[in-house]
Amino acid sequence: MPDEVTESAVPSDVAVTAPDDVAAEILGVSDDAEHEETGVLWVIALSGIALIVCGWFLPWYVELTANGIGFSPMDAVLTFTGIGTACLYVVGLGMLGLIGGALYDVFCLATHRGTPFRFSNQRAVIAICGVAAVTAISILIGVFHEEPLFGNLSPFAVTDNAVWMTLTGFALCAFAYGMRGWISHHGGIAFTAVAFAVGAAFPMIFNQSADFVGWGARFAAIYVLLALGLNVVVGFAGLLDLGYAAFFAIGAYTTAALSGPHYGLHLPFWVIIFLGAAVASLFGAVLGAPTLRLRGDYLAIVTLGFGEIIPDLATNNVFGATGGPNGLQAYPASFGSFNLAQLGAIPANTKYYFWMLLVLVALVVVALRNLERSRLGRAWVAIREDEIAAAATGINTVSTKLLAFAIGASVSGFAGAFFGAMLGIVAPENFQFAVSVTVLSTVVLGGIGNIAGVAVGAILIAFLINWVLPYMTEWTTTLSRVTGATQLAGVDFSRYQYMFYGLILIGIMLLRPAGLLPSRARKVELVAATESETESLAALQGQA
Amino acid sequence: MSALLEIDGITKVFGGLRAVSNVSFEVEEGAIVSMIGPNGAGKTTAFNCITGLYPLSDGTIRFKGKKITGMPPHRITRLGITRTFQNIRLFSFMTAVDNVMVGEHSRMHAKVWDAVFRTPSERREERDVEQRALATLRRLGIERYADAYARNLPYGLQRRLEIARALASGPSLLLLDEPAAGLNQREKRELMELIAELRSGGLTIFLIEHDMRVVMGISDRIVVLDHGEKIAEGAPQAVRANPRVIEAYLGSGASEMQVS
Repeated sequence: MPDEVTESAVPSDVAVTAPDDVAAEILGVSDDAEHEETGVLWVIALSGIALIVCGWFLPWYVELTANGIGFSPMDAVLTFTGIGTACLYVVGLGMLGLIGGALYDVFCLATHRGTPFRFSNQRAVIAICGVAAVTAISILIGVFHEEPLFGNLSPFAVTDNAVWMTLTGFALCAFAYGMRGWISHHGGIAFTAVAFAVGAAFPMIFNQSADFVGWGARFAAIYVLLALGLNVVVGFAGLLDLGYAAFFAIGAYTTAALSGPHYGLHLPFWVIIFLGAAVASLFGAVLGAPTLRLRGDYLAIVTLGFGEIIPDLATNNVFGATGGPNGLQAYPASFGSFNLAQLGAIPANTKYYFWMLLVLVALVVVALRNLERSRLGRAWVAIREDEIAAAATGINTVSTKLLAFAIGASVSGFAGAFFGAMLGIVAPENFQFAVSVTVLSTVVLGGIGNIAGVAVGAILIAFLINWVLPYMTEWTTTLSRVTGATQLAGVDFSRYQYMFYGLILIGIMLLRPAGLLPSRARKVELVAATESETESLAALQGQA
Repeated sequence: MSALLEIDGITKVFGGLRAVSNVSFEVEEGAIVSMIGPNGAGKTTAFNCITGLYPLSDGTIRFKGKKITGMPPHRITRLGITRTFQNIRLFSFMTAVDNVMVGEHSRMHAKVWDAVFRTPSERREERDVEQRALATLRRLGIERYADAYARNLPYGLQRRLEIARALASGPSLLLLDEPAAGLNQREKRELMELIAELRSGGLTIFLIEHDMRVVMGISDRIVVLDHGEKIAEGAPQAVRANPRVIEAYLGSGASEMQVS
């Protein structure tokens, strides 16, 4: 039987009874993925270190620019009095212990002795102590606000900010170090916990720069929402949507219409956000319907069209409903009789507003996480992988895709409702193509398909737009004054926003093509693509 | 035995090409029926018509006495017809168990809101479905690869996984498109055992296959297509001796050579 001989030479002869090493190799990828999940650990540790560094250097920077008397943990160390100083010493000593532990780990890794990178009870205790110390100090700051808590120097505007930043940084580092074993195995939960803890503390960290909390933080939270929503469409279902700003606009216009003077309806805000989301998701389904047969590039072009149509309709004041290029007036968030605007000064208002936004982000994250793991989430991935096979396996591809569009749009509707209330005037210029591109780049930057990843991407981009670029302008102006380099004065870095996006995206594509925190499947896809490329290259070279 | 699937004069035209032309036959409940024919005879097109991936140009298809012509693929799957593909179409970057769980999709009931709030019934269903998926993998002998990505499985096991995914929706008719293609002799034998076992479990099987040893070994009845038309139908021995079949495979004049 000659054919039997030739066929047994086929390499697929692994069959059901594969030897253990082959099975291990087949299953191997998942082990790799587990090992790789230190990404979250790095994010937490690096942001902790960044906060400490910023906290220590912020007062000097303020002194340099505003001629104010800065006060920092550094000063507290030098003044030897006050409870705050003592607390900082405690935390600082704890940090020294952590650094010592880290050095021990490096020693273990270098000499292959001892047991580094293991979860242990002592480290968990250290981490909990760090968090407890921060909590204690935050309470003390509240109680002794008028007292010379941090020594004899009178607190200046940035005092609390610097202390808060340093303490948060310490807490993050302690958490990252003490719980690293747990973090690297539960990346998602750890990231979520840290993100919301830091997010909740954010208005306190920046309590004296109300502008930054008021605009920057809320902007970041809104971009997180947008990125989460777009991630459903692009990341989960694999449908490239270039017109996502359209749904954002619809949410914002709905808010303006229902809260502002245009129609005279002054509905409470907590009703409006849900109506905004509902209207946006309805439009999501309506606009999604014509694209159902399209894929890839064609789908992207059609969604791009929708992204242009909506602002255009708004500019032309269609049915007299949008107020034309001047936009519609929206009233700030009002909660019926409980009006946040009356709670006090503007910073307090924005603080509650931000916390509310944060709660909404948390709810959306939980909901999307649940969806991702559900029957529907699997159906989305199946459609992304192979639509025909998905249809033949019993998935209703039409309704599943429409649900992706509708759910993605509803999240964007939430974001739009908050954005409208935050802007005060909802105008078409806020929803141009650039917004869609920005949101898409946050998703790509963070890691397509991974909830934690896209949140990181959105925070980074918002941070870049609202903090880094404007301050770079100030820094270079200061630098030009100090060094006498006049060319540097008056360079407005905010105008180079898209150049920076471009550079960041190029960098990410070259260094971490699946994003900062890639989803597992994407990572495997990339590995597979690289392998097959290498194989074909090898084949080519073999032939040559 | 009553007819589970009734194909009545189906025609599929692509532009000027009649890929399937006025083909009629029946698949009886509990039978193993094979469809053979030279390359390009329209076998896979017929499969695609039955599973609703292609709209029919003419003719009707009935399943359990119910007309399924014009139904979308997922509704046909829900009624109880599932299939595998000639060139394996697994969800490569999902794990094996996830692939099978996608197969369970049409049997699940959780709605969007159940998933968003993770209601107790949704959790219970997810748990049950995972257990069922693992049981299906066990039945096909690939349970140990449950957490491996589908693309990393060896070819033969990918074929098995595709059958597992098709079984997950609880079909009464299983369509297999060249299930033995690319398998070695041992895997082919295992496949034949598997098909026989599935049939004894009450499943009706309709397959396209080129490997004559497989076809002749397991089929109750064979349908032969050539150039989109049905040229023969009957028991394996009868089809094997049919001059038109021999002609379709080997060219005219071959039937006389066969006899001599």
